[in-house]
Parts: sequence; C-alpha cells; structure tokens
Amino acid sequence: MRKNRSLDRSCAVEASTYTILIIAVVFTSFPILWGLATSLKPLDQINVFPPTIFPKPALFDSYIKVLFRSNFRVYLFNSIFMTAFTVLASTVLASHAGYALARFKIPHRKNIMFVLLMMGMVPIVALLIPLYLLSVQTGLYNTRLVILLIYVSWRTPIMTWILYGFFTQAPIEIEEAARIDGCTPVATFYKIMLPISQPGLVSSALLSAVFVWNDFLIAFTFTTKEELRMVSVGLYNYITQYGIIWGELMAAAIVSIIPVIVLFIFTQRKFVSGLAAGAVKG
Amino acid sequence: MKKNNEFLMPSVLFLGPTLLLVTLFILIPIVIAFRTSLHSTTYANIDAFIGFDHYKSILGSADGWMNIFNSITYVLFSLMIVVPLGILVGILLNRKIMARTLFRTILIIPWVLSQTVTALLWKWVLNSSFGPIALWWQQLTGSTIDFFNSEIAARATVIFANAWNTYPIIVIITLAALQIIPEELYEAAKVDGASRRRTFWHITLPLLIPAISTIVIMQSIEYFNMVTLIYVLTAGGPFDATTTLSVRAFRTGFDFWHIGLGSAFSFIIFMVNIVFSGFYIKALKGKNV
Repeated sequence: MRKNRSLDRSCAVEASTYTILIIAVVFTSFPILWGLATSLKPLDQINVFPPTIFPKPALFDSYIKVLFRSNFRVYLFNSIFMTAFTVLASTVLASHAGYALARFKIPHRKNIMFVLLMMGMVPIVALLIPLYLLSVQTGLYNTRLVILLIYVSWRTPIMTWILYGFFTQAPIEIEEAARIDGCTPVATFYKIMLPISQPGLVSSALLSAVFVWNDFLIAFTFTTKEELRMVSVGLYNYITQYGIIWGELMAAAIVSIIPVIVLFIFTQRKFVSGLAAGAVKG
Repeated sequence: MKKNNEFLMPSVLFLGPTLLLVTLFILIPIVIAFRTSLHSTTYANIDAFIGFDHYKSILGSADGWMNIFNSITYVLFSLMIVVPLGILVGILLNRKIMARTLFRTILIIPWVLSQTVTALLWKWVLNSSFGPIALWWQQLTGSTIDFFNSEIAARATVIFANAWNTYPIIVIITLAALQIIPEELYEAAKVDGASRRRTFWHITLPLLIPAISTIVIMQSIEYFNMVTLIYVLTAGGPFDATTTLSVRAFRTGFDFWHIGLGSAFSFIIFMVNIVFSGFYIKALKGKNV
C-alpha cells in the first residue's frame, strides 16, 4: 500500500517534470520558430491578420534577397573578421597576463589583479562617450583599428581572470619539474602550460567570440560607413527604415544566429565550463 | 636578489600590453568622462566649466528620478522572473530524464542570441497588427492590444524579453552547482526518511544559494547596464516608460548629442557599477574562489 503511494507520487513528479520542461521548450523556441516561419513566407502571407502559422509554400525569396541583393554579406564578413581578430588578440594577451599573475613573483600582484577585475567590470555604456571623443580627436573614428582596439580592451581583462583561474588550478608539479630541468619561467609557459591549457583557452575564446559577434553598442557608435558595418547594426537598420520588411528582417536575423547556435551546439561542454569558471556577460 | 630579477622582464612583457590597453581604453576614458561631465558642451565641443550642474539637473529633476525608478524596476522584476525560473529548470534538467541533452541544448539557446536579435524576434511576435499573441489575445478577450503603446505593457514587454534572453545563465549556474553537491548527502537524507520536499529545502537549496547569489549580483549589474535590448525593442518609449539610466545615457550622448550631460549619466552608471562590483568581490571571497 505504502509502496503504491510512493510509486504514484514519483509518477506524478515525473509527469510534471516533463510538462514543465516542455512548456519551457515552447516558451524558449517559439519566437525563434515564428521568425523562421516568417522568413520562409511569401510577402502576401506576412502582413496579414489573422496570421497564418506555416508558410504555404515555403520560399527562400527573403534569404536570396538578404544574401545576394543587399549588403548583408559585407556585414557578415565584417563581423566574422572582427570576431576572429578580437578573439585571437585577446587570447594571446590574456593568456600571458593570466599566467604571469598565476605563477610569476610580481610585486603588488594582488593589487594588479584587483584593478584588472574592476576594469573588466566597467560597463561599455559608461565608456562610449569618452572613447568617441578620443577616437575623433585621434582620427581613428570610423576605422577597423579603433573597433578592434576597443573590443580587445573590453574582453581582455575578463579573459585574463578566467585564464588565471585555469592556470592556478593546473597541477604545479609539472611546471616545477620543468623548472628543475632548467626551463626558464617563460619557456615553461610556452612549452608546458599553453599546450595543457588548451581546453581553458578554447572555452574563454568561445565565450568572447559570442560577445563580440553579438555586440551592438560599439559597432553602432564607432562606425557610420557602410563598408565597415557589422551584422547587429545591419539588423537594426532594417527597423529604422520606413515600413519594415519583416520577411527579410527575419531572414537576416536567422542567418545571423546560425553561426552562434551551431558553434554552441558543437562546443556546449567547453562553453558551459568557461561560463562556470566565472565568466560574465557584459 | 637574482631570483627576483628572473621574473622582472617576463612580468613586464607578459602583463605590460594588457595593462597598457586597459589604461588607454578604460582608465583614461573614465577620467575623461568625469571631466566632460563637469563642462557644458555643444555637440562634440567641450565649453565652459560648470561644476556639478549636470549631476544636479539629473538628480533634481522628475525625469532623472523616473530613469532611476525604471532601472530599479527593470532589474528587480527581471530577477524575479529569471531566478526562480532558472533554478526550477536547472533542477529539472539535473534529474535523470529522457533526452536530457536535447532539452538542455534547446533551453540554453536564447543565451547565445544577441540582445539585438532578441529584441527583433519579440518585436515581431508581439506585433499588434500581424502577430500571433495579438491574435490570441483578441480571440480570448475580444479586445485588441498593443504591447508598445501603453507604459505598463511596454515595461512588461522589455522585462519579459530580457527574461527570455538571460534565464539560461541561471540554469547553467544551477546545473554546475548541483554537480558539486555530494551524492552521500542525499543518501543520508533518504536513510533518515526525509521527504523529497524536505530534502529540497534543507539540502539542495541551501547549497545552491552561494552560487546563485554571486550570479544574481552579476545579473543585477548586467541588467542595470543594459542598453541594446531596450533601445531596439522600444527605444525607451512610450513616454520614456522604458528609459532606464543606461538607455538615457546612451540616447543623451548619441541620439541627442548632449555629450556633457551624457557623460554625467555615464559616470553615475560607473559609480553604481563600482558599488555592485564591491558586493560581487565580497560574494566571491565568501566562496573562497
């Protein structure tokens, strides 16, 4: 009798678990699927009320327009270029800085770390006006260089912190053995530490890649030239036009999210471990 | 003595570039923001020194306090949705269920989408003329609805879209924290005859709280600083109902070109961040990380 009751209860728990998770899945995927459906609809099925759910027939017209008859390809190239370069540069900088803080004997080490953490927490929105003034004064406004420098300065402190965490957790015995064998601290870093820290490097790099790919504020503030425009600003421009063409806008949005979603699905574990290692969104 | 020198050059080379970059692009700009905030400006030209007049005009006006109120409600209501929802989904995903990886993957996806895309997707779903939600609302109540026209609806909309975009981070942190709770604790509770509910309230939740509290502070800062989502979704409207301090800072600077006043907003935001960062570091130290 008692056993039956507890069996009933665990069945109820099981059922409600799936129910709640399925509701969460619907809530999570609905806006994306709705956007996807819109992007595949012919024009006369988009601006109608009541709206239809499925495109009949599904057409790729909007995608063809976005990819071949607009500048969206230029935006995609710019975003890929900026993301790749920023991730590369800040990984190089942050891994060196993180290792120095983790293993070198440095005066004021604690203070330097504190300053870096604080700088990593300064929000971009508080820096836009002064950076704008500086970039105009130095003639760097509307160049790729200034955007790259700002992206790298924005990501490096946080990545330094994450990588510092990975380095301090690595077993010190290997490094000590290397030192006894006559390796200098610098050689130990390149020959021993960098190769074994690959998982940490990859996960912090992935995280930064998503932030740069998704950034709007910096891309919006420091470029006005069409040939430098990035994806997020390109998307925003669709809604400031007179009369939004929702089909094309949704197609462009879907194109822009495919790279991050694919990247996320294939690297989930690394991604999540990077996040759990103290990563912040900002 | 010699041992110390061994580290000197490498330290400078390893740390120097990062510190230089941070100084040039974060530290100096903050100083410039403060200096600019003490001057009157026309477009990008800095004019006369006016002391703290910009700050007085922000804190002495109903508009300024409205922005502060909007920031606080935006942060608090977002947290009120995101935290319980994230913990619930995290705990459910941690159970032995079918298709766990599939569930987890789908549920975390909103987090990798940008604020721009989040805003655009919801703007379209909630569209009052052609959107599905407007249709269902009409079928249910017989009246029409515009989510971007009334102040309350617009506030709810930005909070809701934000919750959609960011609740996965709480899921991720909850999942990570649950992995660390030793299985023996649950076994001991079982042996002692503790019910599911008691196990949750007395073991799971207390052990989750340290991890959750750190991320709650982090998310508060993040929500407070958020511009893009609100800017793209409502542009701060209607009637400034969704204009938080951060949105106001951005729009004052780059929509209205009041660089001085915008800098004052920026500096206030910076100071709030410093205070919150203090809490964050304290929470981190509490965890001995």
